[in-house]
Amino acid sequence: MTDPFVLAIILIAILSLGGLTVGLAVMCGSFLYMILKGYDPSLATESMLQGLFNGYTLLAIPLFILAADIMNIGSLSDRLMRFAQALVGRFRGGLGYVDIVASVIFSGMSGSAVADAVGMGRITINMMMKSGKYSASYAAAIVAATATIGPIIPPSIPMVLYALISDTSIGYLFAAGVVPGVLMALAMAVVNYIQAVRRDYPIDDSVPLRELPKLTVQALPALMMPVILLGGIYGGVMSPTEAAAVAALYALAVSVFLYRSVSLAQFYTALLNSARSTAAVGVLVAGALTFDYVIAREHIAVSISGWINGMELGQFGFLIVVNLLLLGLGCILDAGAILLIVVPLLVPAAAALGVDLVHFGVIVVVNAMIGLITPPYGLLLFITANITKEPVSRIVMDIMPFLISLIVSLGIITFWPDMVLWLPRLLGYEG
Amino acid sequence: MDSFNATLRWLLARSENLLALLLFSMFASFLLQILFRRVLGWSVGWTVEWVTIAWLWGILFGFAFVVRPEDVIRLDIVYVALPRWGRRMADIVTGLICAALFAYTLPASWDFITFMGREKTAFMRWPFDLVFSVYIAFAVSVIVQSLLTAWRAALGHETPHDTALTPETHDYD
Repeated sequence: MTDPFVLAIILIAILSLGGLTVGLAVMCGSFLYMILKGYDPSLATESMLQGLFNGYTLLAIPLFILAADIMNIGSLSDRLMRFAQALVGRFRGGLGYVDIVASVIFSGMSGSAVADAVGMGRITINMMMKSGKYSASYAAAIVAATATIGPIIPPSIPMVLYALISDTSIGYLFAAGVVPGVLMALAMAVVNYIQAVRRDYPIDDSVPLRELPKLTVQALPALMMPVILLGGIYGGVMSPTEAAAVAALYALAVSVFLYRSVSLAQFYTALLNSARSTAAVGVLVAGALTFDYVIAREHIAVSISGWINGMELGQFGFLIVVNLLLLGLGCILDAGAILLIVVPLLVPAAAALGVDLVHFGVIVVVNAMIGLITPPYGLLLFITANITKEPVSRIVMDIMPFLISLIVSLGIITFWPDMVLWLPRLLGYEG
Repeated sequence: MDSFNATLRWLLARSENLLALLLFSMFASFLLQILFRRVLGWSVGWTVEWVTIAWLWGILFGFAFVVRPEDVIRLDIVYVALPRWGRRMADIVTGLICAALFAYTLPASWDFITFMGREKTAFMRWPFDLVFSVYIAFAVSVIVQSLLTAWRAALGHETPHDTALTPETHDYD
């Protein structure tokens, strides 16, 4: 690593901590590197513009964001909720299970944890608070914790970002998330069970079983979404990017024609909000693309691989270090920043050590998602605090058991690659 | 001043319309592409090209003119913990450094973009300087906004940028 590179990193850190948008800070760091090295700085600009122009797979991002926004304005989320309530609402602490089941189903339609928390999560929190039997902080904690499943079960925006930087197949990454996502859900169900018994949470007024068929039929169009998406991708009918467009169309069609719940004005708002979010994350992608050029110029992959090899960690030792590093960074960094700025430095080392890159992708995305619920910077904590008007500190106390269950799940995911890769292999992945 | 502000608001509203339209066109092109390719079996190229242009423009144009300070990704745990004067100092330093680096590299980027005018996109045959010109607007907007942030801080105003926690912001995480 040369001095200009170190100075660029320092500048990125200073500007980011000084409150500048991370994407711009990274561009500034890249420009500084080019200037100090005496290279033509337009090479960094070129890397950004060409990268965005040729980043066809990244187009899944705006479309998945749009699909989730449409589902959240329509009454799709409500219907799923009632279905989940009929399914698992009859046990002690039932609304907790309802939230977990609803999160798993919603994960199959949206690729974003935040969309999950503000959509489904808002409804669950309202239900739990209205019942008066759960503390608001517990409602906030379980919603924030279960929202992390959103991008693990496909589709997944963070996995699209990872596919970009690691050159792995989006289709196999998506498949690899299914079993770990279910594992995380089960781990959190165990926590909910323990908490429900310990705190003597009530057995909620449940929906009679005979209403289940009717509610299933009502929720069926929403439940079909993951089937259409995954069937389309793995059946070879469409690419993951096209599947994102189909998801948005399907959400729109179901909301407009079946549930009659989206007006033109709401559709426009969803478009504008999705476009804003796209631009916000896009600038981070753009920054990462300029930095990509710097990383290549510095032969960072070689030096990091050499450094990691020098530590003689072995595969599992390396993965433990990666987990600790990413969990630590997750406390202070946004998931997008981790995936686009930090993970590109780790991928070559993982490859050199023979770690399967699809497996590695699931590990880093799970880490990034856990980072969304770890203080001080945990976006999902802020969001659920905002919905419930509870102080973040109290939500943090209630989220601890869920956090532990997620870290245990992460451990299993890390050290049991065959579990993660079981489904991709079934679908033809050779790794 | 009032009419200036009104004009500004009008312009902002139109850029919002344009940004929403860009995303809609991307969505519609994708659907056409699926119809043409998968259902009718025709080969199409312009849809792929248009969606990538709309994506590039949507990001750089959207960030320059539509994205609000609360929408973006920042690492503000240190910043928000600073006292008022500390935040003002941080705004001045980051604003000036950012403006300086973008301004210093702008001529080289300009040369690259005009140079690209001799190449055309594969299907629609658009010159690349047109496609990439949005970067100039982006860079100029970044320079102006950074200088404004520094200027406001020097005058004693704070630039408010709390992370927005309303639905549909940050829904990419």
